Amino acid sequence: MSMATSAQIILAVMVGTYLIAKVFKVSTELSMFAAALAGAIAGGFGIPARHIVEGAFTYLDIVLIFITATLFMNLLKESGGVAYVIRGILRRFHRRKSILFVLITFLLLLPGALTGAGSVTVLITGGMIAVVLGYMGISKPRTAAIIFILASLSAAAPPVSLWAMLTAAGVNMPYVGFFLPLLLPCVLLSLIVIFILGWKGKPVDLKKALEELPEAPPRMNWIRILLPFLVFIFLVLAGRIWPHSLPVVGLPMMFMVSAFVSLLLSPIKLNFLKISRDTVHQLLPLIGTLTCVGILVQIMTLTGVRGLIAITIVTLPLIAVFLTLFFFLPVSEAVLMWGAAPVLGVPLVLLFNTIGLNPIIALAGMSVIWPLGDALPPTAIIGRLTVQTVGMKDSYARMLKHCLIPAIIIMVVGTLMVVFSKKLSFLTLL
Amino acid sequence: MSVHGLHIRKCSFVILGAILMAFAGTSFYNSRHLREPVVLSPGVTQVKKLSDYFPGIKGTINDSNIYILEGTEPGGTILILGGSHPEEPASRLTTWILAENAAVEQGRLLVVPSANRSATTVTRLGGAYPPDFTIPTPWGGQKFRMGDRWSNPLDQWPDPEVYIHYPSRQELAYVDIRNLNRTWPGRANGTLTEKTCYAMTQLIQKENVDIVIDLHEAELQYPVISTIVAHQKGEDLAALVSMMISGSEGFDIGMEYSPKALHGLSHREIGDHTQAISLLLEAPEPFLDATRGRTDRALLLEGKDEFVLRAGKHGLLFEKMDEDGWPIDIRVGRHCSTIIYILELWSEENPEKAVVARKIPRYAEVKEKGVGFFLRDPTKEDPKNVYFE
Repeated sequence: MSMATSAQIILAVMVGTYLIAKVFKVSTELSMFAAALAGAIAGGFGIPARHIVEGAFTYLDIVLIFITATLFMNLLKESGGVAYVIRGILRRFHRRKSILFVLITFLLLLPGALTGAGSVTVLITGGMIAVVLGYMGISKPRTAAIIFILASLSAAAPPVSLWAMLTAAGVNMPYVGFFLPLLLPCVLLSLIVIFILGWKGKPVDLKKALEELPEAPPRMNWIRILLPFLVFIFLVLAGRIWPHSLPVVGLPMMFMVSAFVSLLLSPIKLNFLKISRDTVHQLLPLIGTLTCVGILVQIMTLTGVRGLIAITIVTLPLIAVFLTLFFFLPVSEAVLMWGAAPVLGVPLVLLFNTIGLNPIIALAGMSVIWPLGDALPPTAIIGRLTVQTVGMKDSYARMLKHCLIPAIIIMVVGTLMVVFSKKLSFLTLL
Repeated sequence: MSVHGLHIRKCSFVILGAILMAFAGTSFYNSRHLREPVVLSPGVTQVKKLSDYFPGIKGTINDSNIYILEGTEPGGTILILGGSHPEEPASRLTTWILAENAAVEQGRLLVVPSANRSATTVTRLGGAYPPDFTIPTPWGGQKFRMGDRWSNPLDQWPDPEVYIHYPSRQELAYVDIRNLNRTWPGRANGTLTEKTCYAMTQLIQKENVDIVIDLHEAELQYPVISTIVAHQKGEDLAALVSMMISGSEGFDIGMEYSPKALHGLSHREIGDHTQAISLLLEAPEPFLDATRGRTDRALLLEGKDEFVLRAGKHGLLFEKMDEDGWPIDIRVGRHCSTIIYILELWSEENPEKAVVARKIPRYAEVKEKGVGFFLRDPTKEDPKNVYFE
């Protein structure tokens, strides 16, 4: 039997197992794990304990960044810092819609950009922003669409963009030079989306909005909020300015230090252990997904399925690759979540590199499109989370309908970034 | 689900996880502690440790062995590094052949089979590498650790947010702070990998090394392949070697200039920071290609892969790929012949610094007899002559 036939059979077994698991309402993480096990058995490897455990540790560093960054954000939220910022912005800009939209965009982009997870944006600032948008007369499905799309873009935004990081790691490419190629489209697209979807919004009824938003503790102030961020920025800059005089700290420890500063500066007493437990509980589905994606990718590599997918993609006619990116990237995200990056992203970047495109810009363009798949079944984790957080009672499809035009704009921009990546190379040098 | 049912489910997962961890843990432990014997060639006159040149590395996993082969006549000194990237096994196997077979008549040959020993003890997360591989020999077979490109996180962790190379301050990928071929010339108070490079820089300076040859392999989708990458001090030598080999050994090898702006690599930093000429040899290894199919020992050693072959037919490779693949014997043979030519041409041009060695098999011989033919049975040797990597 040829390698291709063997890999196709194993792939069919894996897809079949995944679908059967989903039919039986098994979670996405366990469905992926089941697919990996079935693939290994079909490939004649039995239950390869070493590969399963090794694969499970693939994204350990990213998981640690996730946990510590989200803990930092949760401490800030529990201390009343997030409420203080939103109330302050509302008081000052409730009559000036454009400025309010710009500030809301910043608040929605920050948590996801720092943590790499759109879910953190939804959980930290999404709920409160939904209240503000509600008082502007924006419907719940439209509000959910705004929060979902901006949360998606926040996850793609730098400094932590998991799709770019995972793909870059897969092709031995440094995760360097991505800052502007990711930041510019994410910020611009976010602004475009919030203005398109929120255009009909009216000025906020300040009194009503402030009544509904959580109160900030009386002793809260800007110093208590900004200092932990300044500490984080200092640690990042110190590592870059004096890299050979300071010990290597790593991003997780930087987030932990910032979290402790936030804890110390909180005007109210915080139950650190409870918030830590809640953080891990909140992140368990994402940690589970990353762990199982690692296992799945390892087994796909072991059995040749990853190679089959890679070679199929890189040998497609180039025009077909460009024209189908908008479809395959979100769909792969919907099925594999971040696993789509090493499985699809790696061969695509290799292909783009081989034909002379700029791999960094091309990967940044793809990274903007990928998170749109987080609203699509079977996973739809961020989409579902957004609907819950916003408290939308309408059908899920109504939110998707409002996402359509922004999604088309994002897909077009992302695809154009890939196609014209060579001409945009200067962005990697700035 | 009832609370009782939930508890049973949770307990079941914990037990299954523990069983998996036990099996996997045993495998990880065994491969980290696998002892790889090196039977000393009669030509080996001393075995030193890297810590002899820099005590800061003593007691660490990277306090590697240095096999020194000295001739009776004075001459030059050539250092050969294997295992900068242990996932490129032809590099380590070539150094094994040298340490177990070579005899030096003039000058000195210094051989390091495990330049980054830490990286030999881990396999690529997500890469599905086999933990080890066995080279068949006339007396059975010898098992080697597979290894990775980067030092084991058990020995060096965490990685920084971005890796800033010393002393150039060039920004590199965070993970490359564990890449031995991105940390040259090293730093005395740096990370384990930086210290390892620093120790080797000390070795190069204290032993007055004339040429450093860093052995590597590369995926076929990588443009720097089947070539000698040379620091400007070694351009003429590398060009001559490339020309001579391509006409007489049965294979082609190119020559490339070491980019001046790309830092941390041996071919750049050794040449810049020491008196030595630095050369880096690349052989083709389909096992490293991202489009590879089934990832197993057969692919590693035979170098045959249907998908990489298909990529080649679509013009996506920088080296030819056919049904015969790139067997390990051919990859090691290329390194052996290239080393022979470097020694010969260097010695011709620099008679007072000549390094004349015998009993290094050529490409055709390794291809015909196999790598295993040149590995010696440790059980038949005086234990005093057997060292372990």
